[in-house]
Amino acid sequence: MRLPKFEYFTPKTLNEALALLKEQGEGAYIMAGGTDIVVKMLHGRLRPKSVIALQEIDGINKISFSPQEGLTIGATARIVNILSHPDILQYYPALTDAVKVMANIEVRNMGTVVGNLCNAAPSADTAPPLITMGSVVVLTSLEGERRLSLDEFFKGPGITAMNQGEIMTSVFVPLPQPRSGGSYKRISARCGVDIAPASAGTMAVFRDEICSDVKLVLGAVAPIPLRAYRTENLLRGKQWTHELIQDAGYEAAEESMPISDCRASAEWRKKMVAVLTRRTLVEAYERSKKN
Amino acid sequence: MKEFSIIGKDVPRTDAIVKARGAAAYTDDMKLPGMLHGRILRSPLPHALIKNIDTSKAASLPGVKCVVTAEDTPKIKYGNWRLFPETQDEYPLAIDKVRFIGDEVAAVAAIDKDIAEEALELIDVEYEELPAVFDVDIAMKSEAPVLHDYCPTNISVNRKIKYGDVEKGFAESDYVREDTFTVHGVSHAYLEPCSALAQVDLDGRITIWTSTQVPYIVQCLLASTLGMRENDIRVIKPFVGGGFGGKMELRTWEFCAALMAKRTGRPVKFTLSREEEFLAGRRRHPMKLHSKIGFKKDGTIVAKDLKIQLDGGAYNAMGPTATFLCGNFGAMLYRYPNYRFHGQHIYTNKPPASAMRGFGAPQSLYATEIQMNIAAEDLGIDPIDIRLKNAQVSGDKIPDVATISSCGFVESIQRVAEMSGWKEKRNSLKLGQGIGIGCYSFISGGVFNWFNTQYPFSAAEVRVFSDGTAHLLTMAADIGQGSDTVLKQILAEELGLTMEDIRMTSADTAMTPQGDLGSWGSRVTLMAGNAVVNAAKKIKEELFGAVSAHHNLNVIHEIECKNGRVQAKTRPDYGLSFGEAVALVQKANRGEPLVARGSYTPRGKGLVTPAFGFGAQVAEVEVDKETGLVKVKEMWTAHDCGTVINPRSVEGQLAGSIQMGLGYALSEQFVMDGGKTLNANFADYKMPTAMDMPLSHVTHVDTYENEGPMGAKECGEGLASPTAPAISDAVYHATGYRCKDLPITPEKILEHVEKTEDVGLESRKTLHCDLEPEPYKIG
Amino acid sequence: MKHRINFKVNGDEYSLAVEPWKTLNEALREDLNLTGTKLGCGTGDCGACTVIVDGKSVSSCLTLAVSVDGKSVTTVEGLAPSGDELHPIQEAFVKTGAIQCGFCTAGMEMAALHLLNHNPSPNEAEIRAGLSGHLCRCTGYSQIVEAISVAAETMKNSQSEEEEQ
Ligand SMILES: Cc1cc2nc3c(=O)[nH]c(=O)nc-3n(C[C@H](O)[C@H](O)[C@H](O)COP(=O)(O)OP(=O)(O)OC[C@H]3O[C@@H](n4cnc5c(N)ncnc54)[C@H](O)[C@@H]3O)c2cc1C
Ligand code: FES
Ligand code: FES
Repeated sequence: MRLPKFEYFTPKTLNEALALLKEQGEGAYIMAGGTDIVVKMLHGRLRPKSVIALQEIDGINKISFSPQEGLTIGATARIVNILSHPDILQYYPALTDAVKVMANIEVRNMGTVVGNLCNAAPSADTAPPLITMGSVVVLTSLEGERRLSLDEFFKGPGITAMNQGEIMTSVFVPLPQPRSGGSYKRISARCGVDIAPASAGTMAVFRDEICSDVKLVLGAVAPIPLRAYRTENLLRGKQWTHELIQDAGYEAAEESMPISDCRASAEWRKKMVAVLTRRTLVEAYERSKKN
Repeated sequence: MKEFSIIGKDVPRTDAIVKARGAAAYTDDMKLPGMLHGRILRSPLPHALIKNIDTSKAASLPGVKCVVTAEDTPKIKYGNWRLFPETQDEYPLAIDKVRFIGDEVAAVAAIDKDIAEEALELIDVEYEELPAVFDVDIAMKSEAPVLHDYCPTNISVNRKIKYGDVEKGFAESDYVREDTFTVHGVSHAYLEPCSALAQVDLDGRITIWTSTQVPYIVQCLLASTLGMRENDIRVIKPFVGGGFGGKMELRTWEFCAALMAKRTGRPVKFTLSREEEFLAGRRRHPMKLHSKIGFKKDGTIVAKDLKIQLDGGAYNAMGPTATFLCGNFGAMLYRYPNYRFHGQHIYTNKPPASAMRGFGAPQSLYATEIQMNIAAEDLGIDPIDIRLKNAQVSGDKIPDVATISSCGFVESIQRVAEMSGWKEKRNSLKLGQGIGIGCYSFISGGVFNWFNTQYPFSAAEVRVFSDGTAHLLTMAADIGQGSDTVLKQILAEELGLTMEDIRMTSADTAMTPQGDLGSWGSRVTLMAGNAVVNAAKKIKEELFGAVSAHHNLNVIHEIECKNGRVQAKTRPDYGLSFGEAVALVQKANRGEPLVARGSYTPRGKGLVTPAFGFGAQVAEVEVDKETGLVKVKEMWTAHDCGTVINPRSVEGQLAGSIQMGLGYALSEQFVMDGGKTLNANFADYKMPTAMDMPLSHVTHVDTYENEGPMGAKECGEGLASPTAPAISDAVYHATGYRCKDLPITPEKILEHVEKTEDVGLESRKTLHCDLEPEPYKIG
Repeated sequence: MKHRINFKVNGDEYSLAVEPWKTLNEALREDLNLTGTKLGCGTGDCGACTVIVDGKSVSSCLTLAVSVDGKSVTTVEGLAPSGDELHPIQEAFVKTGAIQCGFCTAGMEMAALHLLNHNPSPNEAEIRAGLSGHLCRCTGYSQIVEAISVAAETMKNSQSEEEEQ
């Protein structure tokens, strides 16, 4: 339970950080809020050669929003700032849902959304809502910048599509479509701090009482935050009824691939997927009426 | 009711201000010049022979000052049950064999923590793995792996109690019921990880500061394991961050700190990590309880036959006491004219279980209480009424155990039923909502001298001064429960002084009077309290004599200490200030200071305890039928702890107990894979947070316990028992799920709900369900 | 390998050379001897180590000491305005019996400070949410919650008194 030895850098510019990252090569890790990376090191699951802290780099801690362009969350923007952001609450309530239940006050004061994504835990709370919102991540390296749909970002537990030498500088969230609604919910055995054994994020678009488009992402029930394509297909273009919602829950449970671990059994997780899917769909529908 | 001036008042704790400031020093806060940092190497295997330990690489790492294994120790076994040396089964460092994952194998001391950590990795231990056993049923089989050579059956303790004729009782019963319950292990989860700091004094003696509930026991056992004399060891208990039973034995780090301080001549400090606490720390005994109980049609209990198997883990620790107490608690609460108990304490290759708040009662009473509810339902009697019918009352005799003195149990049941609106809610709550009851009784300190102390159970010394102040010295250990405050209150009351007038020294084995068995079994208020009263009485005798002589009082006058004065009760003008009275006594004795010793040892009080606390609790829950999650909304408690000495403290004990009980019922458990603990951190060991706590209401039932100081008895542990059965009963009321294997997890509830609705995931598709988003527990 | 950091703790300037793998918790407790800040778990799960860094409550066990270079830290020792006075939060903790073993107390008080700085009149649910990362094994939280609402009242009253003056 002690931190291993490592070298520490606090670059002042993004370029400096990228150069360092390249120079240090394998074994170099980026640190944003540190709430994941430090815990991993304490548990002996990670022994970095060097840690490159982003905190002193100017200009990447911003959260910017305009009703024309959408939302951009910078790499070092803290979770607490998402939580208190009125535009996010208004336009992206499912993201607020997620950060509200995440961790605790202290961790939210330290941790970042981008860190939550880069850490790539299957249970990462911001991943499901951000994926359903069609978010795009901006990955920067010395070679330049590339944009990648968040949907394609997660490759496995702790594994992402990021290449060696890349830093995620921001995540961009497009404006929600008219008549769309989003919701995020998770299960936990206690109300305070908890790593959820199952969660679901939904974003659905309605035309009259028809679900014209939908995205459903399940957390903590697969190696990555899981797009539930089959369930989406089942819902898309259908008349919105109780039966449809019930079926969707069932389908999502089938589609999920949970494991049993110290937090919950696979079986119960599947059942929770059904419940969460239904409940997020209901809330998404309610919220869509306001948009 | 007696009139008191300080007893019964919300006196702030004497240590609150330093703690609020962050100025209270706990063991790990202390630093001594030249201090080394110790770390323990633990076994990665649940059961293995140690073939070889090579410490040479570790020892030669620069900065490492000492490495020890069992070979460097006197190899003397220890254990709290000194009265029965055969139960002492533990060595400070494993000899030849490890018996659980986390068993202590070696220790290092280095100039800093990083080096100590690095050195651990350099110790090579060659193990030969042995078959291991994790389940009590398997451990009792003849072909099971044997943990300790002295105990080929793996059953280290057998305890039997019998009175009346159980078989005849069952034959005469109209209704007989048998159930098996299993209850799980949970962690004390005190916030302060264990820590010990030892130094060698000028004369070669050892002083150790340690986070313990039992300074005297640590002193004695440390002396014996080191081959030293008791007086060579001085144990000082600094501020302690909670114990709950988990810090009531000599532990390896205390031994190693002392041994390594001796070997290096430098102070050595060990502080455990939270991970170590969870992986290897003591825990509540998991148990299997088989209970058979017979009733008359009208609900009168006729007989009970209770068999319990305690999963003790790899060593006895406080398991023998737990085994005894389970049997005693099995006979408490209700009148059992015929009773039989057989308890077995069984070794398994898991971290040892030991004492924990309630100590046998939460397990034993869980079975009792759930079975009462089952019987009530079967017999068509309200759970409240069946309890009232059988409730123990003052004067009841439990053969070989005790005669119950003060007892507010009946009133507790009645009051809690009233407060909670029981009758109405029991009939009117909707499906998914429920209300349930659980009751408890607990001891106010133990009578059985398993430690074989040669001293009084508790002692106090009071010194009084002519400046009107007093100094109270006692070995009683305040571990956060507030005993220093309560003992001061008792002395202040007795001597008519204020809290500020009293200086206190506690829990230093070289400075405070021998002896005190420590803080456990809810014994401190009653036992140390009585010792204080006893010492105060002696002081008062002297002061009364002086005042009487000074004022030439008629011998029929009663004299009292009150408001800083010593005076005739009916003529307060005939008196002196406390200080003047002390000065007179001192003068009369040619300068000898006025000092008195008091002590308390329970005698003629049966085998268990001088006094019992009682109480009843009702819980109201709401269960989400889709997820199985339980929300405990409200709790009502009525309890009898005798005189309430400090109301806020008593309420604090109660609220803390509810938190622990809630965790025990619903969310806390060690998730084990064989001998390995999978959830060794607070993220996955789910202790209830401030957001999980129900609304809580309390009533103190008035009784006066003649055996207790100012009429007081226990309130610290009994309340650890009723919460789980109350919640469990409420969950049953809400869902029909009767939990016989704690904890009550959402998975178990759902499984039941599905079974009874006879629908699986497949057919639930068409099942109508409530689509309103549930506000709680789902973000 | 060591980094020089200059930072303020409770208003005092400190300059330390620290290894990057040293946590703020260790720096405070071991280098500055400010042992009021506790270590209950070391992995961010219990709240006992909470301190305020530049106005925000953080877990000192997860904060690298090197990362507070140039910042301002407040610990429990910095709460009270003077030697014999207590901060209203401390006062309330003492008065309501919110302190038993006291091991969680410093963290709870710092969480309370953060909460009341951001929300001067929290309701009970908000207080409980503000403590969601803080474990206490002794009190069942009820007297702590009470203490924080008492402190909120006193702080509001003294605020309005100041404003009137
Ligand atoms: C007590 C506690 C409770 C928690 N509860 C939750 C919870 O409820 N839900 C949840 O989802 N998480 C939870 N977490 C995990 C963690 O707090 C979050 O994942 C947080 O958002 C991580 O952000 P960070 O800035 O601290 O990440 P860091 O630890 O700084 O980084 C995380 C990982 O991402 C990499 N990284 C960070 N930034 C970048 C970047 N810009 N480019 C490339 N790589 C980068 C790092 O190298 C590291 O591997 C909890 C943690 C703790 C300690
Ligand atoms: S010690 Fe930092 S949160 Fe527990
Ligand atoms: S007072 Fe002991 S942990 Fe809170």
